[in-house]
Formats: sequence, C-alpha cells, structure tokens
Amino acid sequence: MKTRSMAAPRKLQATGASPGTASGPVYLAERPTLVPMPVAPRASDPGTLAQAVETAVAALQDLADRVDGDSRGIIDFQIEVLRDPTIAEMTEERVSAGEHSVFAWVAAIDAHVAELEGADEEEVRARAVDILDIKNRVLGIWSGTPIEDFPAGSIFVGKDIEPSRFLGHDWSAGGGIVLFGGSAAGHVALLARAKSIPMVVGCDRFDVATDSQVRIDGDAGMVFLDEQAEGLSSAPARVPSQTHAAAIDHGKLQTSDGVPILLSINVNDPSEIDGIGATTTAGIGLMRSEFAVRSLADAANEDKQFRIYRRALEWACGEPVTIRMLDIGGDKPLAGLDDGTGAMGMRGIRLLLARPEIARVQARALLRAAPFGNLRVLLPMVTFPSEIDGMRQIFAQEAELLLHRKIAHRIPQIGMMVEVPAAALMLDTFDNAEFFSFGTNDLAQYLAASARDGSDIRDYRDKAAAAVLRLIAQAMALSAGKPASICGDMAGNPSFLPALLAAGLRHFSVAPAQRPAIGSVLVGLNADGTRAAGD
Amino acid sequence: MSGSRLTIGEVEPLAAKCQTEIEVKHGVGLHARPSVTFTRLAKSFPCSIEVAVNGSDIWLNGKSIIKIMGARIRKGSILRIRADGVLAEEAIRALKELIERNFDEDKKHGRTT
Repeated sequence: MKTRSMAAPRKLQATGASPGTASGPVYLAERPTLVPMPVAPRASDPGTLAQAVETAVAALQDLADRVDGDSRGIIDFQIEVLRDPTIAEMTEERVSAGEHSVFAWVAAIDAHVAELEGADEEEVRARAVDILDIKNRVLGIWSGTPIEDFPAGSIFVGKDIEPSRFLGHDWSAGGGIVLFGGSAAGHVALLARAKSIPMVVGCDRFDVATDSQVRIDGDAGMVFLDEQAEGLSSAPARVPSQTHAAAIDHGKLQTSDGVPILLSINVNDPSEIDGIGATTTAGIGLMRSEFAVRSLADAANEDKQFRIYRRALEWACGEPVTIRMLDIGGDKPLAGLDDGTGAMGMRGIRLLLARPEIARVQARALLRAAPFGNLRVLLPMVTFPSEIDGMRQIFAQEAELLLHRKIAHRIPQIGMMVEVPAAALMLDTFDNAEFFSFGTNDLAQYLAASARDGSDIRDYRDKAAAAVLRLIAQAMALSAGKPASICGDMAGNPSFLPALLAAGLRHFSVAPAQRPAIGSVLVGLNADGTRAAGD
Repeated sequence: MSGSRLTIGEVEPLAAKCQTEIEVKHGVGLHARPSVTFTRLAKSFPCSIEVAVNGSDIWLNGKSIIKIMGARIRKGSILRIRADGVLAEEAIRALKELIERNFDEDKKHGRTT
C-alpha cells in the first residue's frame, strides 16, 4: 500500500454518487459475522405469504410517500408488481396443483424476471433487478429474518448495497454509504440522492475495524479513514481469524507408512467456518444445508442460499466444499412442511424428488455458486441409481434455464451419501455418482433396526459397529476407486480409525473441534490400520 | 377509490361493455413508469379492462403490470382497450385520455423524452 503521513487521516479518492458529507462509525458489510445464528429452527406458523407481501408493500409505500422523481418511480413499480393480479393468479394455479404457496409465488415471480431479462432494451432488463429485490424482501419478511440492518448513523461500507437494504434502514440519524463497486447511475444512488444520503462508489478496497470512524465527501468523492482506526490489513478485506493455532497443512496428512490421508471438516451452521483457517483443512467434507435452510421461506430463497454456498466456497480458497442437499424429513423436519414420514419414509432425496420445487431452487443456488470454487454436491439417503439420474436431470434443466438467462453457473460434481444398506451393497451399480460419502449414523440405525432417536436402544447401535465396519469394507471394494470419504460419527471416534483405514478409507471428515485429535491418531497408524512400529 | 371522481353527476354506475382504439405516441412506449401509471388507473375501476396490441386477438389484463410491460408497446403501437362491467365507459375514456396526455410523463419530468 502507499505510504501515508502520520498525522493526517488516510484519504481515498473514489467517485461521488450522492452529494453531502457524513461521518460516523463504520459498518463493514463484508466482515464475516462471528455472532452465531440461533440454532433452533422456527416452529411457529410463519403467517401467510399474502401477509408478507402486504408488509412489504406497506414498507415500500411508506418510502414512496417520502421521495419523488426517479426513485419514486422504482418503488411504485415494485409495489405494482407485488400487487399484480396475473402473479396472484399464477400463484393460485400452482397452489391448487399442490405446490406450497411460497414456491408457487416465487415461480410466478421468477417467470416474469426471466421474461424481462430476455428483453432487447436495457431499460426493461434493468427492471429484473428491482423484482429480484422485492422477491428477497418478501421472503425475508416471511421467514422472519428480514435483511440484516446496520446501526443507525453508521457509514455502510461494502461491495454493494441492495435497494431493499437501503429502504429498510433508518437514515434519520444520518450516515452514508461507501461502495467498492456500485455505480452513480444505479438505483441505490438514485435513492440516496433523493434522500440526501452522502454516497461514494468505486472506492478501492480497504479494511478498518468496525466502529472506527470514517468521513465521506459525496461531492468530491473522497473517503477519509481515521488513522488509528485503520485495521492491520489493507486489501483483501476478508482475513479469516484463527481461534487456535492449527497446523497449516491443508488437511493433507500421511499415515506412518507414508500413505496420503485427507482430513476435512463437517459444518452445520454456516457461520462455524468464520473462526477456522481454511489452510487447516482439506476443505469441507460435509456441509449440512438444513442449517442454511431453516424454513420453507429459506428453501424458496435462491439468493440467500447462493450467498451462503458462495461464501463457503470462497472461504475454502479452492479446496473442495461438499454441500449436502436438503436432508429433511425423518428426525429433521422443515418448519412449515408437513411432508416427511419418519426415518424410513419420505426423506432425503426421496422428498427432494417428490417436491421438485424445493430441489430446483437449491439446484439453482448450487449451480450459481459452483464457479466460485470447487463444489461437490452430495445427495442424501440415496437408495437406487435412478434417484441420482432424477436429480441430475433437475440440475441439467436448471443449468439450461440459467444459460438461457445468461447467468453464470457450472454443473458441479454430484455424489451420494452411502447410508442406506441397499445402496452400500450395490455400490458398483452407481455409475452416475462421482464420489461417495459414508454416513455411519444412518447406516447403523438401518442395519441394526434401531432408530437413531431412540435412546433406550442406543446399545443396539453401538454393538452393531462391527456390522457397519464390515459393510463399509464391502462397499469400498465395490467403489471402483472413486473418491470416497466418511463423514459420520464413526470417523470422529479414534477407536474405529484402524478398521476404517483397513477398509480402504483415506478421507475423513469430522467436526472442527475433533480435527486435531483425529489427525494425530491417523498419523500414528499405518495405512492397513496397524499401529506404527515403536509406537 | 380514485375512480369515484370519474362518475358523472348523479348517474348510477352502469354495467356495460365499451371499447376503443388508440395509437401510442409516447417516445419510448410503455416502459416501467408509464405502465405503472396505466395499470394503477385501470385498477381504480371496478370493471374488467383488457388490452390487445396491433390487431392481436390476445387480450391482456390491463390491470397487470407484467402483462402490460410484457406486451412491448412502442411508439406507433395501436392499442385496443375494452372494458366490461361497472364504470366501463368512464374507464375507457380515462385510459384513452391518459394515453393522449402521454401518460402525464411530461408533467412529471418537465421534459419530453
């Protein structure tokens, strides 16, 4: 970075987008949040979609009454789309055909977005963004997690800011906006000028501590950083903090006799990765998307899912990130969805194929995230190869639609969980799976005919460990050398590691906290599972 | 409802059918803002309102912004507008006048596009 004088604040030249000056504490939008999300899924009735739409209309109306000119035109257009009788009719048609109202509404909105995106005129194509914005706004209201607000009076600093986030914020205490990207002709710039909120766009990336002071001059397009507030790092802004000193080995270990082993992490809540250095693991061996998708509204929210998946991929810096598609049903119900009939019923890929509207949204989010890293998509509860064909078809169709809409995407590798005994025994018939991941918790409950949520029969599952290990060894022999890993509880139990190594497993995925302990056991073993000499 | 200002004197609103034809003179046609003005006015009437463009026999819901914007109405497009129901005549008259006034665009912006 360029040198700077010791006394004066650092100045950055950018482009003014809305005049006036503002100063205040920084709100850095791109800093990974370390505040854990609430773990309990919503169980209460989320209210009707119509109520969410009306809440969004009321908020937009409130703003429309306070602005004029171009910005009012944008808001009026958004309100008019929310109240469009054709969208209401299309939604009702889909609902009477059996779709859930939120998916029906999203499909109706998306159809219109696709139509606008295909228009010849830039003026019309630009409206698609306004509609996507209200879609996300309504889904946020419906799921009870409105778009994250930032403290009143602060200076928003980030790559971009969504119109609805701008609209949802209370600007009465002042504040301003600094964007690393953005455009003075963009809609938020229009809105900012209408509300006299100073705004600067096209600024070089910088990093400051949250709550440090910054001053912006929207006329001159300048940003002034408080000297003492500047962070230790300049660009890049995102530096994963490490809570414990872990080896920078990228999760690539060796057994005592020199056989390469991969050690990666299982992730539940997407925010768990914030405290972990990406260099300490061979990527994410299992990301359970049920934690990113906590309600039906989330399941319908393509953009929210896309952001979460993309963030995990960017965090991993090119290491593989394995995201398991929604494994709902069984002991993991989704609030608002009545489907799902126990551990042996309609769950995992069975439910996804029976409810393709859920699968399609997730497939689109995954397809769009795939270009941002090394994505592997894992299908839960697969029993037969035809189920993988069914999901591949959904990915192919959605990829085709994204191509048509000129939206960047890539078809990721698609693999399967090996957790149903019938699949494990027939693993050589799954030509259409690109990789395998053993889920030992379900494998044990199905093999021992003892439900995993039945604590009184826990003993049965524990005693079945030998049968599970034998089945894994047989399945590994049928895996045709395709990448295979294990992500179930068994991988995190040191006493099973010799047998798992002997079965041929070379890739283990465990909870982040278990990683150091499991790693140190693995390097003390030979690849055949025997203890290293002299140990 | 803003539609009430368009009722004439003491006349009872009548259920009727009414139709008109008009050429769009507005420079860029019905993009977002004029479309909003059009559908909002249409929605202020209780009758059904439908639009067909350039001799098409496909009638679009005149109260639907996505239908009206999707119709790609341009300068020189010929619109047929028909209304059926209460205040149909008033609706047709008001919508025709709106198009003749160029959707009030000049008034809103003090400039022509």
